[in-house]
Amino acid sequence: MAKTILIVDDSASLRQVVSIALKGAGFDIIEACDGKDALSKLNGQKIHLIISDVNMPNMDGITFVTEAKKLPAYKFTPIIMLTTESQEAKKQAGQAAGAKAWVVKPFQPAQMLGAVSKLIMP
Amino acid sequence: MSMDQALQTYIEEGRSLLEEMEDILLQLENEPLQDDDTVNALFRAAHTIKGSAGLFGLDAIVSFTHVVENVLDKLRDGELAVNGDLVELLLKCRDHIALLISVVAESGELLDAEQERTGEALLAALRGLLGVAPMEPASPTVRDTPVEASGGGMMEGDCWNISLKFGRDVLRNGMDPLSFIRYLSTIGDIVSLATDDSELPDLAQLDPESCYLGFMIEFKSEADKKTIEDVFEFVREDCTLRILPPPSHLAAYIERIEHASGNTDMIGQLLIEAGILTSHELEETLAAQEKLVAQESGARVPVGELLVKEGVVQKEVVDVALEKQRQIRDHKAQEAKFIRVNAEKLDELINLVGELVIAGASASLLAKRSGDLVMHEATSVMSRLVEEIRDGALKLRMVEIGETFNRFQRVVRDVSKELGKDIGLEISGAETELDKTVVEKIGDPLMHLVRNSMDHGIEPGEVRTATGKPARGTLRLNAYHDSGSIVIEVADDGGGLKKERILKKAIERGIVSPGQTLSDHEIFNLIFEAGFSTADQVTNLSGRGVGMDVVRRNIQALRGTVDIDSEEGLGTTVRIRLPLTLAIIDGFLVGVGKSAFVVPLDMVLECVELSEADRKAADMRNYVNLRGEVLPFIRLRDQFEVNEPAGKRENIVVVQYGGLKAGFVVDELMGEFQTVIKPLGSIFRQLKGISGSTILGTGEVALILDVPALVQLSVASESSMAE
Repeated sequence: MAKTILIVDDSASLRQVVSIALKGAGFDIIEACDGKDALSKLNGQKIHLIISDVNMPNMDGITFVTEAKKLPAYKFTPIIMLTTESQEAKKQAGQAAGAKAWVVKPFQPAQMLGAVSKLIMP
Repeated sequence: MSMDQALQTYIEEGRSLLEEMEDILLQLENEPLQDDDTVNALFRAAHTIKGSAGLFGLDAIVSFTHVVENVLDKLRDGELAVNGDLVELLLKCRDHIALLISVVAESGELLDAEQERTGEALLAALRGLLGVAPMEPASPTVRDTPVEASGGGMMEGDCWNISLKFGRDVLRNGMDPLSFIRYLSTIGDIVSLATDDSELPDLAQLDPESCYLGFMIEFKSEADKKTIEDVFEFVREDCTLRILPPPSHLAAYIERIEHASGNTDMIGQLLIEAGILTSHELEETLAAQEKLVAQESGARVPVGELLVKEGVVQKEVVDVALEKQRQIRDHKAQEAKFIRVNAEKLDELINLVGELVIAGASASLLAKRSGDLVMHEATSVMSRLVEEIRDGALKLRMVEIGETFNRFQRVVRDVSKELGKDIGLEISGAETELDKTVVEKIGDPLMHLVRNSMDHGIEPGEVRTATGKPARGTLRLNAYHDSGSIVIEVADDGGGLKKERILKKAIERGIVSPGQTLSDHEIFNLIFEAGFSTADQVTNLSGRGVGMDVVRRNIQALRGTVDIDSEEGLGTTVRIRLPLTLAIIDGFLVGVGKSAFVVPLDMVLECVELSEADRKAADMRNYVNLRGEVLPFIRLRDQFEVNEPAGKRENIVVVQYGGLKAGFVVDELMGEFQTVIKPLGSIFRQLKGISGSTILGTGEVALILDVPALVQLSVASESSMAE
């Protein structure tokens, strides 16, 4: 069975592009448009990796990751944060919240694939 | 979903974000003091436009928006104040981004020179605000070649944890501990290194040739555990090494264990296969295990436990591996014992064996008639073999009921928790075998009966203790063979059935009429009537009034019967009686006139001759005195209207079923016969006293008697005559 990745970003087009790339690599994708939406998707279903933006409306990525790590089913789910160069502090916050890797926006789909494959196998 | 579609999404998204930007900017112009959220939304809009543009390689948008974003970042941080000029500039930038996006939308069109200049001017203005030189390398300019994403990486702290303690003699053995650490750094980055000098003695005692040091290393590397361990290969015997993978790898390891090939059911091998344990570590652990056994001369500490205790592998991983190990073992146990065969193939075989039995019978008969002794000999050998083949083939379909029973352990546990009752399950007769098709179909009725017993039968703990019973209720599942049937009992030590309540309800529901007199047994069996439920309140387990009748129907469909016994205050026992097999039985062939009938052999107790005196008396009554016992009988001649005069002598076949005895009066006893059951067509479904038919060696058809029905009939008619 294909592994499932949850991608959280408020940009629909970003989600689409990442989805295309990751689906092409054999992953199943679940999309969420902000932290709140993403938390509602963490309903016990098996998710192997979470990719989350930091700056999002409703609930930002740091809060989301902190909350997600509190759920036993997702305690060990690796998380990739999407950050910008100017957000060194956010990167630190993401790490503190339990993110395992970061990818700087803007990125090429191939870079995302590279980061993902370091954490999980398709 | 294609990239083109995604690009369309981007263009629409970009435009709506730009509108949002415009709204916010206009708002800012009117009221410069907005809350953080508003400014943040502005920043986010630019950020999203840039971020997504990067994915499509829209470098012009990325590099322009990047600068805008930087300005907005400063605005957000309060380093820049909102004023008319800034808003004006930002609005222009917004327009420029809109222009850039529309260029993308109408692919092919390029910015004209003037538009290019506008962009440059805007950028220059923005940079002025940022206070950086135009060519500052950190901020890409429009003319920069495609902007590469600035990267990403693993979080620090996401490191291998290597704890290394060198042996005292490592220096004497000519090793340089530091060289290993140096070599380690060739396959990755040493993020931090702490020296453990806790074992360093006072200077006076210090032996300069001994090594007292240990190292705790945080190591960042893409290498696998084996590679890292190999770094220390030459000093392996002389040091204590613990390599813990980065936490982020755990998920991957767990994943790998979950998908292990199943080649091994050894926990250590499983972990090695997943790459989290190296064979060297396993050897060490196994040696430690042996040592522990020798020391404490006691129980062997499980490898998994030891690995966790020694800090070789994280507990989470070992837990997953243990679970996997259990799965593999279960799987193996099944593999070793069984070959999976398509049930259809088995049915085909049984059918063929059936035909073989019939053909064999026919051959024996011909041989007998021919009077050829050699031929007779040959066919009798063949008959014996056919019989063995038949038994073997039928056995293929026989399975122990234990597996079905064991499923209820869990059910009982879960349901008792749900009900808040303490109930234990006792299983006996698990090795009793019955036909697979029967087993498959008995699960549901059993489930219903078990739940029913737990829900309505067994009282809550307080009630039980109040009546002097142990607080823990007991449910018993039992199976045994009894005269050609298998009997399955579901018994509880609960409150038993309350006769009055059942009777009252039955009258309410119109199942019995008020004046009717019923035996206890009959009253109990009322609960199997459709639409009957005495439960005061409906729980989600049972008590909806559907069920007991369905249970009975399901069991009857298997040619079985269900029966209930209960003693108020002591408990209830439901007894299911099922035929052992549905295909071939040992029969006892009897003749009445020219017709032949088969009585299932397991139900035949004995055969006695109907004496002359009894024959005379039997015209008046339907019973004989069998060694001082009343034996009701049925004349098959009358029952099946065989219109031929009775022979000179008649015999009684004494049969027993479910504790009742009865006799069948027949002309001729023809002996044992392997009976292949051929079901009767549906038009004979209503026929009482016949359960099927079979084909004799001569090609004639013999009817198989439905002994339970006939026994009931004879007992009933005898008692009705007595009244």
